[in-house]
Amino acid sequence: MNEHRLLVLSDGSVYAGLGFGGPALTIDELETASVPEKSVGEVVFNTAMSGYHEVLTDASYTGQLVAMTYPHIGNYGTLHDWSEVGPEGPTPRVAVKAAGFVIRSLYRGPVPAGRLTLHEFLSSGVTPGISEIDTRRLTLSLRNEGTRNGLILERPSGTELSSAELSHVKAFLAAFPLMEGRNLIGDVGITESTEINSGGSPRIALLDCGTKANIIRELVALGCSVSVLPSVANAEMIRDGGYDALLVSNGPGDPAVLAQQVETLRSLVGSTPLLGICLGHQLIAEAIGARTHKMSFGHHGVNHPVRDELTRRVFVTSQNHGFAVEEGSLPEGAMVWLRNANDQSIEGLLDTSRKIRTAQFHPESAPGPNDSKWIFASFLEMIK
Amino acid sequence: MSARTDIKKILIIGSGPIMIGQACEFDYSGNQAVRALKEEGYQVVLVNPNPATVMTTPGIADAIYCDPLEVPFVEAIIREERPDALLATMGGQTALNLTLALDEAGVLERYGVETIGARSDSIRMAEDRGLFKAAMERIGLESARSALVSSVTDAESFVEEVGIPAIIRPSYTLGGRGGAIARTKEEFRNFVDWALTESPVHTALIEESLLGWREFELEVMRDQADNAVIVCSIENIDPMGVHTGDSITIAPTQTLSDREYQRMRTAAIAILREIGVDCGGSNVETRGWLHAGRNYQRDHRENRLLF
Repeated sequence: MNEHRLLVLSDGSVYAGLGFGGPALTIDELETASVPEKSVGEVVFNTAMSGYHEVLTDASYTGQLVAMTYPHIGNYGTLHDWSEVGPEGPTPRVAVKAAGFVIRSLYRGPVPAGRLTLHEFLSSGVTPGISEIDTRRLTLSLRNEGTRNGLILERPSGTELSSAELSHVKAFLAAFPLMEGRNLIGDVGITESTEINSGGSPRIALLDCGTKANIIRELVALGCSVSVLPSVANAEMIRDGGYDALLVSNGPGDPAVLAQQVETLRSLVGSTPLLGICLGHQLIAEAIGARTHKMSFGHHGVNHPVRDELTRRVFVTSQNHGFAVEEGSLPEGAMVWLRNANDQSIEGLLDTSRKIRTAQFHPESAPGPNDSKWIFASFLEMIK
Repeated sequence: MSARTDIKKILIIGSGPIMIGQACEFDYSGNQAVRALKEEGYQVVLVNPNPATVMTTPGIADAIYCDPLEVPFVEAIIREERPDALLATMGGQTALNLTLALDEAGVLERYGVETIGARSDSIRMAEDRGLFKAAMERIGLESARSALVSSVTDAESFVEEVGIPAIIRPSYTLGGRGGAIARTKEEFRNFVDWALTESPVHTALIEESLLGWREFELEVMRDQADNAVIVCSIENIDPMGVHTGDSITIAPTQTLSDREYQRMRTAAIAILREIGVDCGGSNVETRGWLHAGRNYQRDHRENRLLF
């Protein structure tokens, strides 16, 4: 802890800071051919003021370095009960999903009994953190010029990078895959099916592309049984299950390259009611013929207003996405159900005849406001 | 949402002199309200007997009265000016109390004045601790255990259950005036007696003591379409027992986990909905006993959230 580290972005900008949590990459470890899971990834900013534990354990942040715009992080510690990792498969899951954590100031005092400090939690999850970063400058840069890849680098000497070293790091980052085109869901979802609250009704199949645990909690609270299926489950397997609906979960990466999942969904459209959250919303949109695109800096935070186009009500939502469904690419029959009140982007789709209902944001919150919990009830209403 | 066109003239009651429970923020909010209403094309009549405030600067409102904030004076102003509506939520406790008094005296009905921002019955529900507690129960929220009493005997039989120390609050008074904490049985008897005299309706609320609990506040805005936002969350550095007016506070809250914060946020919006703050802002105070043992030692009741 407190060793010198650097945050380097692919454009060559360098932010000096202090380390916490797990180890970062050293300059000797950088080989242009390798794709490490930690310490390097797409740098995104999140505007939530609380909920860092939920953010770190959300599989949708796989492959991303998360920078918090709120300046002081770690005050209330971390607690396993708040984790958003999905149900356990045969192999234990890595608790911290984000590739790295970038903050302005780290709380270093005691935490309540039974909790771990943020430093302890990240150390156990081998995820590096860097503090003392000018997150305001970083966020403005990401907002103005869009997200880009970056890495957290060990720098024990605390000295600036020489121009040769900087070129080396830049070459590594230039060769590192862009988020656009990355398929990351294979690493984060469940590998063998499991049923939660069996005997419940209706019976929901959940295609696990990296689901948040709270999606399952919310469905179970409404009485559903939830069959968590691997993201590679095929249409036949889903049809044979006789489920009342298929909910496609959130998850990391680019929806446009998930051809297998889109194909599966395409053959289910019209026969099985389809529900989607975040990545699931994007995949269902692709399946009915719409397109998705990479947003400049995306929506990551817990204060995004969304308008229900049917009732004109506005509610505050939790969001985490870097891709969006393209306006104008929607096929006949599908309508924009929900819309972002800030930038007017599509936040949800509705197709009553084919029984499709999707949300781009996170009705399960965690972290974030509970204003949109009703989305789950509207899902169940449709499949009744 | 577009502005109402059925209202032409609006009476605003200011907060009068500045004191505890009536701080200068009401001059600021009232001043903003006058300007915003003028901008929308309404005629604004202001009554505020405080010529030292910004709000009473000539030229801001269409008509300014510095009369006492009492029913006969304000009735005379209403008779003279004939406003269509009364905005009661910009003058703190004084304005809320006066609005209730005008309503109960039949003045508002007699001159056809509509209360806007919050209806009279909403003000009553927020101000009367018994009604407020009942409202909290209806929406499944917990309040401190309490009893409304009108005699010392009733008060003593209740305090047997919750124990000493206990809080005694006379109904309908400004910013905690007349409220007291009794630490002995003798003190308790004396305070109840005093509170019953202080209260204009001669009732008092006896509450279990929350001394040492953590205290949070949320500033909430809600509109007529039931959309709500949290303007900010606030944490008192000092625990319960130090008056909010004397306590250092920090925004946003610093020590609440996201789950704890969201529980409080959801509850605060539900409170505005239940009380009927249909258009405008409100301050919701919360007492939390969350993860006991960190800051202040208490031996019981983890994770209670009281309103």
